[in-house]
Amino acid sequence: MQCSIQCPTYYVCKYTPVELLSAMGADCQTLNDMPDNFDLAEQYCGPNICGFGKSVLEKVLTGQVHELILVDCCDVMRSVYDVIAATGKVDFLYITDMLHCYKSCAKDMLVDELKRLISAYGEYKGTSFSIEKFYDAFHEKHETSLPHIEVLGARMGTQLFDMVKDTMGIEVVNETCVNNRRVGNVIPPADMGMDELLQWYAGEIFAQTPCMRMADPTGRRRLYEDPNLRGIIYHTVKFCDFYSFEYAQIKDSVDVPILKIESDYTTQSTGQLKTRLEAFNESLGFEEQPGSADNREIQMTRGYVAGIDSGSTSTDVVILDKDLNIAAKTIIPTGAGAAISADKALDMALEGTGLTREDIDATVTTGYGRAAIEIGDKSVTEISCHARGAHFLDPSIRTVIDIGGQDSKVISLDEDGNVTNFAMNDKCAAGTGRFFEMMANTMQVSLDEFATMGLSHKEDITISNTCSVFAESEVVSLIAQNKAANDIVYGLDKAVATRTLGLVNRVGGTPNYMMTGGVAKNTSLVRVLEDKLNSKLVISEHAQLCGAIGAALYAREMVS
Amino acid sequence: MNPIDIFGNVINNLNDSGHHKAARRVLEIGWGAMGIKMKHFPDKRLIPADRYLAPMMMDVMMKPLIEPQNSAVVSIFTACELLEEVGLNPYNAEAFSSYISASHAEREMLDIMDSDGISETFCSYHKIFAGAAVAKLMPAPRCIVHTNLICDANLVSFRRMQQVFQVPLFYIDVPIRQDESSVAYVERQLRELKTFLEEVTGKKIDDDALSERVARSKRTLNNYQRFQELRADRQILTDLVSPLYCAMSNNILLGTEQEEKYTQMLLEDVVAAPPKKGKHIYWMHALPYWSDSVYSLLAFNESAQIVGNEIGQTCSADFETDNPYRGMAQRMVYNSLNGTGSRRIDIGIKHAKDAGSDGVVWFNHWGCKHTIGISQLAKKRFEEAGIPCLILDGDACDRSHGGEGQTSTRLSAFLEMIGAI
Repeated sequence: MQCSIQCPTYYVCKYTPVELLSAMGADCQTLNDMPDNFDLAEQYCGPNICGFGKSVLEKVLTGQVHELILVDCCDVMRSVYDVIAATGKVDFLYITDMLHCYKSCAKDMLVDELKRLISAYGEYKGTSFSIEKFYDAFHEKHETSLPHIEVLGARMGTQLFDMVKDTMGIEVVNETCVNNRRVGNVIPPADMGMDELLQWYAGEIFAQTPCMRMADPTGRRRLYEDPNLRGIIYHTVKFCDFYSFEYAQIKDSVDVPILKIESDYTTQSTGQLKTRLEAFNESLGFEEQPGSADNREIQMTRGYVAGIDSGSTSTDVVILDKDLNIAAKTIIPTGAGAAISADKALDMALEGTGLTREDIDATVTTGYGRAAIEIGDKSVTEISCHARGAHFLDPSIRTVIDIGGQDSKVISLDEDGNVTNFAMNDKCAAGTGRFFEMMANTMQVSLDEFATMGLSHKEDITISNTCSVFAESEVVSLIAQNKAANDIVYGLDKAVATRTLGLVNRVGGTPNYMMTGGVAKNTSLVRVLEDKLNSKLVISEHAQLCGAIGAALYAREMVS
Repeated sequence: MNPIDIFGNVINNLNDSGHHKAARRVLEIGWGAMGIKMKHFPDKRLIPADRYLAPMMMDVMMKPLIEPQNSAVVSIFTACELLEEVGLNPYNAEAFSSYISASHAEREMLDIMDSDGISETFCSYHKIFAGAAVAKLMPAPRCIVHTNLICDANLVSFRRMQQVFQVPLFYIDVPIRQDESSVAYVERQLRELKTFLEEVTGKKIDDDALSERVARSKRTLNNYQRFQELRADRQILTDLVSPLYCAMSNNILLGTEQEEKYTQMLLEDVVAAPPKKGKHIYWMHALPYWSDSVYSLLAFNESAQIVGNEIGQTCSADFETDNPYRGMAQRMVYNSLNGTGSRRIDIGIKHAKDAGSDGVVWFNHWGCKHTIGISQLAKKRFEEAGIPCLILDGDACDRSHGGEGQTSTRLSAFLEMIGAI
């Protein structure tokens, strides 16, 4: 049944013949919104497929889509087609058979496919192909000639891309998936017959920068060899595997800084991604916009500066005097509110020092809760702060391994303490302090006991997963097999150490290594990690304060 | 530590320390010993055909280690008759990775790929396979031949392997639509593959011999289809690996005399088999051969037996043999996993009914997005067709995605539900 009102024809892939559909009277729009959740979609397709596929399904199930053109881009899109077809909720649903390569007769095959689509859509819509509308549908795409950052990899949804644009201090171009559609830049030659025109059009569709599902993706090199490119934000979507291969290939070979982020294609989890984006922006040196509030100079009075690190588990405060000695410090549990805890921690740090808030010339906040804290003159990501703090504590450090309550990160730094690369765990508890808490809970031992049990292991058990869900079931199985608790803990330590080593490798980490964060207290893990790295880990007595020290050092830079 | 753990550790330690040849040699000795055991001391509970199949598959896995220059890496649904004609032994991701995993040497391969930045959600078969290449545990083959059939992993892992091995690669593109133009498109590529293989090996392919080989494939598939229909009212006990071996051999070994002999033996065995007793379970997608839970409930169990595996029946025998290229193209285009998910489900329902199935397990192998994506739809459709369906989540190759407790509970409850327990 035809849609009774003029409704958009949604499409998802750059290989969609948009101009052809326009010539048939369709109003083509991309589906790029990220939903808040997949409550409906997961009832139909289960959780373990890519979020974009689920977002298409979610939009269909909420009745927002009447015409939908899919492409057999991937296994998920093929599945989504079947699931949508079975719901009967879309008036016109079509999947285009897009070949994976431009072999000898591929163009003819695509022309046949285009003709099938003309026929199917024409029958549904009651329209025919209009040459005039076809020509009108071609519009040249704006290409920037300015220095810019590219978002590459798997499709990035509108909301996340908007956040990227807002965060970066330089133009950002979305080159993911449907967003780098290039058909339309060349106007069709005049006076062509229909067959000739479709042959030409099929050639234009094939000639686009290939995506990773194409058999020969070497044409993608143009994306990372652009002379105006200043950095790459490489985006992957959970359960979409194509692009991790490209990332693995280019991460060590591109000439510009690269940041990898992963989303599940929902609007959730933006906090962690925002931290990474801000840190990347800082590492590129774009954060200091002239005249911005963050860049103002503060006149020194008594010379004290404060750093507040508002983490998920603890809030840490360090106050430095004008000679950069630690004048005061405190660590308290974060509790329910970041702002309240920050206030309280600052007051506690000042207690007994004879100092008041007025004595502090500048305060910089960092950590997850930094945006929620009103006190402070500037906010800097914990990545930059950890690097700065580690350099302050030991200038020989080139790699910081920080495993905190909710995340783990590895930061590589230069001889001046500047961030040169970093990587963080993706959105889950894998390999974090929370992971150890959950495992200790499963084994019914305290976290303190857990931290040393692995040192007394006898059997070398391999637990291969740091996904808390999978690991928990592995641990339960091992308990059922009567394996010794010390051996199980050792297995868990090895699993986390392996994962951490993966992060170290991703950033090209080199000695000397410093470990910070609450998990640095886990002696058993530290030992295993040292074995894997074949190097000692420097663990400062101020390990837990590293972020706050870095923040205080940033505050010191603001004071003249 | 059990002996297989020690075996896996020795391989990984040797490989880690740069002694790749020694690691392969240990693998070869271990697999060779297992092959001898399978040949001379088979599990007598298996039917003779399955006793024949196990060492045959072990030979397939040994060849790439012993003579890599005469071996070709393939994706499982590649038509391999052309390779056999030039004397190349095909081996695929699913089989090789299963054997590595069975040797408890898979962890290093998975970690290498994780460390490289490859996503955790990538299919473990392909991850171990590509990881073994990156780790240099796998020797360089003569060439790589693969298709997009029928999963995304095929499009990335073989490219990665080519980067590692630096050997010639041929890709066969298979459209999702089942029609004449798709067959012609694939046929043309298979003719190009002939030229490619002749150049790679310096050997000539005789089209008459190829026709005979493709005709053998057709006879083999007809035999197997007949066997599946005959087993509907018979009881044939099995372990968990025999259906998997068959899933491999009924694809990459089509056209070989051994595979035809295997299906001939099946036809002899089914005649001698006792009448049906217990429930017949048809298995969709890969089978977690390593799972103790599945083994305890379905292996050599008179109350419930696996009577077929989807992957062993992806190829229809309905193809031409006079023009072998066209015949192979038809087989690939009409592969049961190609095209829409509904088509796959319909064929699965037919095959399950052919084998007299009382229930179906739809196995959501971690990383197989197509299988997972249509699992709810499949359950509904199987049940509408009168066959109870269990969706079982897990990983057929990577134990760490196991969840044995859950598997046991779900599968037991399903078997109770259909009256098998």
